[in-house]
Amino acid sequence: MHIPDGFIAPQMYVPAYGLAGAMWALAARRLRESFDEDSIPKLAVLSAFCFAAMMLMIPLPGGSSAHASGLAVPAIVFGPWTAFVAVSLVLAMQALLFGNGGITTLPVNALALGLAGATVAWASYRALRNVNENAALFAAGWLSVNCPALILAIALGLQPAIASTADGKPLFFPFGLSVTLPAIMIPHALVGIGEGVLTILIYRAIEKRGWTAS
Amino acid sequence: MIHRPAILAAALAAVLAAAGNKRREILRRAAFSVVFFNSVVSAAYLAASMLGGNFSWEYLALVNVRVLLLACLAFLFMARANIFKALSFAPALAYLFALAYSQSMALLGLLEDFAAAAKSRSIGRASLGRRYRLAAAAGAAVLDKAMHNSEELSLAMRSRGFFEGNDSDV
Repeated sequence: MHIPDGFIAPQMYVPAYGLAGAMWALAARRLRESFDEDSIPKLAVLSAFCFAAMMLMIPLPGGSSAHASGLAVPAIVFGPWTAFVAVSLVLAMQALLFGNGGITTLPVNALALGLAGATVAWASYRALRNVNENAALFAAGWLSVNCPALILAIALGLQPAIASTADGKPLFFPFGLSVTLPAIMIPHALVGIGEGVLTILIYRAIEKRGWTAS
Repeated sequence: MIHRPAILAAALAAVLAAAGNKRREILRRAAFSVVFFNSVVSAAYLAASMLGGNFSWEYLALVNVRVLLLACLAFLFMARANIFKALSFAPALAYLFALAYSQSMALLGLLEDFAAAAKSRSIGRASLGRRYRLAAAAGAAVLDKAMHNSEELSLAMRSRGFFEGNDSDV
């Protein structure tokens, strides 16, 4: 999921732009250190991969499906900073070229999905891979969905507290944390199971073609 | 004042007036892009506030008009501005954005081909396990194709002198 425009107050998205800007600058510096002259095409196709991976469907029992986040595999294979920049580029592309997601909410979405999601997927894989690689891949997939979902649930749930009228009427998102946390986290905990399984299967398939963790 | 539905509705009318003969298309695309999230939030608010006795029409109008206004503004921007030209102040960023877009469309096409191929080879509903294997195969093929395209793009850019100065015509 990502949050559309109009539900996040400027009190949150303006500082988020500052934080995301600093993180994008840091990521660009780190990529310049490790990338060679092929960095532009590599980053472009990795962004395209993230875009396509978000279009993959997680099969659910009963014939239904849900969109994958597609974050864990690029984070594991290319590292969290590269995945963060690629996902940010995808979110910018979706907002500016397709009208999906939002322009004001871009930094919140990028920090949650791109930075937190990719970092936690990469870190959990590295922490667990020596114990059991399949468990590490599953955890990376599950967390890459649920960590961003938790951050977005908190971001939405804080809106009544930071932006309400004097008589307590909400100005942006109407529900507090007691509603957003269960409403967002319970479905994502279930979808995360599918994402974890898909992460194992995709990683095993690309491993056979010579792509492994960075 | 910015949080008054009437003010936002006037701003929405101004945006649609500025859109000229594209106003219907912009309104249709904007409404389509926000209808799911807004309907869920509005219906949940309606139910919760009716039960809690604190329902406010003003809030419901405010949030829906604001979201529609912002979506219309985004679609008007997309109709009027060429984002690739807008990024011309930073050639590397413009190339990155243009490449990412073109490659995204190519990989999306590959995913659609995968889905069509899987459908044409299946009789009835595929089992959950088979659907997972198909999704994983599609994901792996997309990554494979992406890395292959990356190498081709690097060669093409190098052969046009992109890396020797950013004034190439790649």
